Amino acid sequence: MAALLPYTADRETGRFFEAAAEGKLVFRACNACNHALHPPTAHCPYCQSWDTGWRESNGVGRLHAWTVVAHQIHPAFPAPYTLVVVELEDAPEVRLMGRLDGAPALHPGQRMQVWFEKLDDGAALPQWRPASEP
Amino acid sequence: MIDEEAAFAGRDKCAVVGIGSTAFSRDSGRSVLSLATEASLAALADAGLSPSDVDGVVRCEQDTVTPYSLAAALGVTDLSFWADTGPGGVAPCMMMGLAMGAILSGQAKTVLAFRSLNGRSEARLGAGVPGMGGERVGGFGRYDEYYLPYGLITAGQTFALMAQRHMIEYGTTQEQLGAVALACRDAANATPHAQMHDKPLSMEQYLGSRMISSPLRLFDFCLESDGACAVVITSAERARDLPKHPVLIRAVAGGAPPDRRVGMMFPVVTRQDMTDLGGRRAGQTLWKRAGVGPADMDCAQIYDCFTISVILQLEAYGFCAKGEGGPFAASGAIRYGGRLPINTAGGHLSEGYVHGMNHIVEAVRQLRGEGVRQVPDAELALCTGGPLPIGSSVVFRRA
Repeated sequence: MAALLPYTADRETGRFFEAAAEGKLVFRACNACNHALHPPTAHCPYCQSWDTGWRESNGVGRLHAWTVVAHQIHPAFPAPYTLVVVELEDAPEVRLMGRLDGAPALHPGQRMQVWFEKLDDGAALPQWRPASEP
Repeated sequence: MIDEEAAFAGRDKCAVVGIGSTAFSRDSGRSVLSLATEASLAALADAGLSPSDVDGVVRCEQDTVTPYSLAAALGVTDLSFWADTGPGGVAPCMMMGLAMGAILSGQAKTVLAFRSLNGRSEARLGAGVPGMGGERVGGFGRYDEYYLPYGLITAGQTFALMAQRHMIEYGTTQEQLGAVALACRDAANATPHAQMHDKPLSMEQYLGSRMISSPLRLFDFCLESDGACAVVITSAERARDLPKHPVLIRAVAGGAPPDRRVGMMFPVVTRQDMTDLGGRRAGQTLWKRAGVGPADMDCAQIYDCFTISVILQLEAYGFCAKGEGGPFAASGAIRYGGRLPINTAGGHLSEGYVHGMNHIVEAVRQLRGEGVRQVPDAELALCTGGPLPIGSSVVFRRA
């Protein structure tokens, strides 16, 4: 069964997927107050500015939470798999999802490195793998 | 101390005067419109009213039965007010607020609030979020494109992440989650209409149940049910002339978390504090409006889509400190005879899942003294909804 492909042309989030296809991890931020805006919006609710744009992350994060999915829901995702919530090191207000096969041993705060999963249709999805400490 | 000066203008001005439910099952064999009709007729009969007395209908926005269809099916002749609220399980408590607003502003005299679903036989709520059937997922303001393609597709997986974070930060244990499941099952075992009636659950059975999405096991999940519930709301003044002892809507409040995160359920994982709930703000407003506090509640019907939901709300509504929900639940406080009996008919975990509406019905039963597992002399009850992405709450009072 085909994966659940993301809609990549959304006017608020399309750039995230476009960048991923270029091998870049980006997040939205306010140019006026520098607050990261995630999930992304064109308007900053912190300072009311419309001057917002995309910034590139260095692709390093910290593991915030995870769950091992043991009960399969969708044929595209055979159980067991592990969903991870990763907090960007250079923008802690941004947390992104990732998926690991199986049930690897993990610990809170673990260092994670982004990689880009190529999807069936040429789109890409930022994913995360455990990384060694610097 | 609660600020008595902050009296809520609507305090005790409206009342629930009728309650009705269908049977809760795994397969009703009937349409959701039929279920809604049956529950509504039962609620109207309980109120000593007929469909021609109804002029307002409020519903959950996820219901496939529209206010207009229900009114037509019932034979309501003078529908003049209707409204939707939500999302999902947040709806029932907010419906009490909508009904109150309509009545106190003169837009309606008698409002029917309902929820009807074939949540097991037709549209399984555990099957994932809507919109997974198309070629692409997310977009158009849903923000699901950040989550569904990874395999984060259910509420259970989302709450599992919250539960695991609560364990990391506060040391919450599997047994503490289990204490919530057992308290609800214990209530259901005393309640003949509960789907889990006569099915005792021990801690050993709980801990031995299969993992669904760690740390949440089978018995951490609510039921998926077919069924409907309805309640009738009118002014406190009119309520005095009706047959059942009125249960007053003391106060209603919704609340959103301080984080400004767009989207629906999944973006909770991006909140600075993943285990904080909109219910915390709802509670702060609710207690001010009600002029009473958590310690005054004789029982509580706490939205229990999952066991962790209860633990987080015990904290959010101020029954215990942040991080103390697990020990509070495990202390026995939430069981019948404890300081705060919760979900006295079994709740969503063991009575049935009517998306928050059966909690309203049970709160009213308790305050009328009609509970199967009746809390002695219950005068005040909390009912909560939600709890993601925002929270809703009601305090009911025996007139």
